[in-house]
Amino acid sequence: MQQAIFTKKLSRIYKLRGGKKTEPKELIALKDVDLEVKQGELFGLLGPNGAGKTTLIKILTTLLAPSSGEAWVAGHNLSTDPDRVRPLINMVSGGESSGYGLLTVRENLWMFAQFYGIPSQVANQRIKDLLEVVGLGDRLNTKSSDLSTGLRQKMNIVRGFLTDPEVLFLDEPTLGLDVGASRDVRRFIRSWVDQNEGKTLLLTTHYMVEADELCDRVAIINNGQVLACDTPARLKRDLQKDAIFRMEVSPLNGAGAGVFERLSGVRKVTHEAKDGSSTLEFILAEEDALGAVVNTMTQQDIHILNLQKREPTLEDVFVSLTGKSMAEVEKSGD
Amino acid sequence: MATDTGVLTRRAIKVTGWRLFIMTVIGRSYPRVVGLLRERSWFFFDIFLPVLGVSSYVFVYRAIQAPEVYVGFVVMGGAMTAFWLNVLWSMGSQLYWEKESGNLGLYIMAPNSLMAILLGMALGGLFATLQRALVITIIGMLVFGVDFQVTSYLQLFAVFSLTMVALYGMGMMTSSIFLLLGREAWHISNLAQEPIYLASGFYFPLRSLNFWVAAGASIVPLSLGLDAMRQLVFPAGSFPPFLAVPTEIGILAVLSVVFLAGAKLLLDKMERLAIAEGRLTESRR
Amino acid sequence: MTTKTSAYKHSLIPQNPGWLPRTFRFAAWLGWQIESNWADPFVFAIYSVIKPISSAAILVVMYSVITKGAFENPVFPYIYLGNAFYIYVGAIMAGISWAVIEDREHYRMLKYMYIAPLHYPTYLLGRGVARFLTGSISVFITIAFGVLFLNVPLNIYAADWGLFFVSLGLGVLMLGFMGLLLGSITMVIVNHVWFLGEAVAGALFLFSGAIFPLEVLPAWLRPVGYAMPLTYWLELMRRALIGDVARAFPTLAGFSNMELIGILLATTAVIGLAAFLTYRYCDYRARELGYIDRVTNY
Repeated sequence: MQQAIFTKKLSRIYKLRGGKKTEPKELIALKDVDLEVKQGELFGLLGPNGAGKTTLIKILTTLLAPSSGEAWVAGHNLSTDPDRVRPLINMVSGGESSGYGLLTVRENLWMFAQFYGIPSQVANQRIKDLLEVVGLGDRLNTKSSDLSTGLRQKMNIVRGFLTDPEVLFLDEPTLGLDVGASRDVRRFIRSWVDQNEGKTLLLTTHYMVEADELCDRVAIINNGQVLACDTPARLKRDLQKDAIFRMEVSPLNGAGAGVFERLSGVRKVTHEAKDGSSTLEFILAEEDALGAVVNTMTQQDIHILNLQKREPTLEDVFVSLTGKSMAEVEKSGD
Repeated sequence: MATDTGVLTRRAIKVTGWRLFIMTVIGRSYPRVVGLLRERSWFFFDIFLPVLGVSSYVFVYRAIQAPEVYVGFVVMGGAMTAFWLNVLWSMGSQLYWEKESGNLGLYIMAPNSLMAILLGMALGGLFATLQRALVITIIGMLVFGVDFQVTSYLQLFAVFSLTMVALYGMGMMTSSIFLLLGREAWHISNLAQEPIYLASGFYFPLRSLNFWVAAGASIVPLSLGLDAMRQLVFPAGSFPPFLAVPTEIGILAVLSVVFLAGAKLLLDKMERLAIAEGRLTESRR
Repeated sequence: MTTKTSAYKHSLIPQNPGWLPRTFRFAAWLGWQIESNWADPFVFAIYSVIKPISSAAILVVMYSVITKGAFENPVFPYIYLGNAFYIYVGAIMAGISWAVIEDREHYRMLKYMYIAPLHYPTYLLGRGVARFLTGSISVFITIAFGVLFLNVPLNIYAADWGLFFVSLGLGVLMLGFMGLLLGSITMVIVNHVWFLGEAVAGALFLFSGAIFPLEVLPAWLRPVGYAMPLTYWLELMRRALIGDVARAFPTLAGFSNMELIGILLATTAVIGLAAFLTYRYCDYRARELGYIDRVTNY
């Protein structure tokens, strides 16, 4: 199968302008990124804010040159042939405010269709159909400045699909959308890839569920580097050897979680106390170790309120790769 | 949200080449034109108020008992200022606003030429600007009694057309620099207003300035355009011309070619530079 | 709760008078940060010289072509000084209305300023301080250029500095109120506002007697000029610096300095009242129309 996106040791360093008297600093946004996305794939880039996802998208959409390395999109080299790449791609960013407020939804979309050479009659029909699909059919003639943030984002998503790109880049497409609208958008994205053989979609997100639910393959990216790249199932497979349990119990009465960590077969325990109860998460080397855990609880007079075995998530994969959760990485600014 | 309609699989027909260029020009000029038709208040803000401002210079000449033909100079200059303002604000620094709103990245990423986008902005802006220039001219005739005696309509048309081509070519060329600029773009446009009003002789004959100053100012096409048009609509001998009209037409033709070619070269170069430096999508509010 | 919020946002007097100096100081500081941040001092200096000098030079060339360079004629300093001081109109009045557009459409901060415990009219007046300071540099350079190269007869020992500073202070206050008036209107317009300040400043140039006496205007237009405080302020500024020469045109020759100050005070008070009432109405309308946090992308 042909590659839709291929990058070879792609790096990007930003020179940050300091104050008037300070020297510019360098920020490594991407470091030696090697990536292969096959034609027809729905590929996810998963990572915390500041990981380098948007920089990679900017490079792949011809808006930013890499500091070193090379990249190909739809078979064309980005450095030497950007003009051949552009007719074949489109991009939608979450939270963007593109278009003109004085134009209606239809007019804004028609204008962008003109930039891609889509004749008006074809463009207008596609606009109408696509707006129906995303539930904006009744807003065709509403000025875009009168749309809510969520509806404007839906308009932008339509802008991306309107030009029928071979490779579509979606940068955090559900940013700022409510739960229902996000679910609709995800379903729409999946359908587009499924129903269009050969169309490729690269999606960046920092929502684990989004990547897990949507993507054929996912690259986990942090600090400008790709840490792992595979299908969500395979990424989680290593962790599936372990059994992960979540327990809500009565207060630990000063016993602490340490007492469980000493038990045979218990690999890791996390503990969070709140509102008169405690939540414990156990990563066990094997399910049999649960018996010892329950016995210890009985001895300590701790009552189990709720017990749940859960599957490993991509968040767990991220933690196992970086030693931190995504929230902790964003908080620490690493 | 429905997901099983045919639109997901229906391929979009796309044109390329010169047809794409024309479609892009029309697409980008559309918001400008429709904006004027949709928001009628522009007549007050963009025409009525500026007309009052231009009128001040008419009354200065009246106050110092200048010959009436000078009132005509102001009216014609005042009409032409609209084009200069349009080039400065609706082409040059417009790219900065487009960058801030996120449109610039989408323009660059699309398969069209940036020249087509700028031409679209220019033609859309020209539509409004022509109206402002016409209103000022008509008010000049009706309120201030300016008497235009056109000696050659053909030459007048040639001068005006060439001036516009050269001026908007220059606008496109300078716009390329704005691809790299942030907020300072606004200040640069602001800075280029009055000095050009002065050097190009918007309110007095170009020859009133030192010859070499006038020659230097001729790099702005409006300088020679205005001088030639004044020669063609006001009686001979009422003011000293800078150069003969045919010479000015020749220079304007050369400027048109130079600026359009320069625009293409510089836009390509600056686009590459902006992509390398990451200036296309940055926000420096 | 809604009623209470509504009441204080409409009020001309803030809920807590302590907000006033704090708001003014903050706004002046913010305005200066914005004004001074865009370029290094050298570029800023060039900017401050070229723009006003070019503007003045247009009038100088116009005058020179017609009068064959009769700069000693008192008409010339009348035009020159009127034009120089008019720089303040563009700077302060247009600058304050620009702050509304800039905060709303560009920085997208208007909504945050608006809901903060600030007195918004005072905030707008404070934003004019930086424009007054940069405008003062331009006015000074323009006048210095005229004195040094164009025989503008300014004798610093003969000038009435008391009258100058009193008039300047009153004028700045008056322009601040005009800015507030325009800024208020800007709050309820979401399109074609980008050049509103400059367009209004340019239009008022016609009626203010800045560069020609009101007698030159058609009779039916003159009352507009007589009703505007700008007209009296510019006359006072000319008189303070060059005394009798400012009476080159008879328009206001019949008024003494004190009478002119009295008229300026009265018209400034009227403008101030009009500005606050307009603010009150526009503040209400802007919220009714949902324009406070509007970004038009026009």
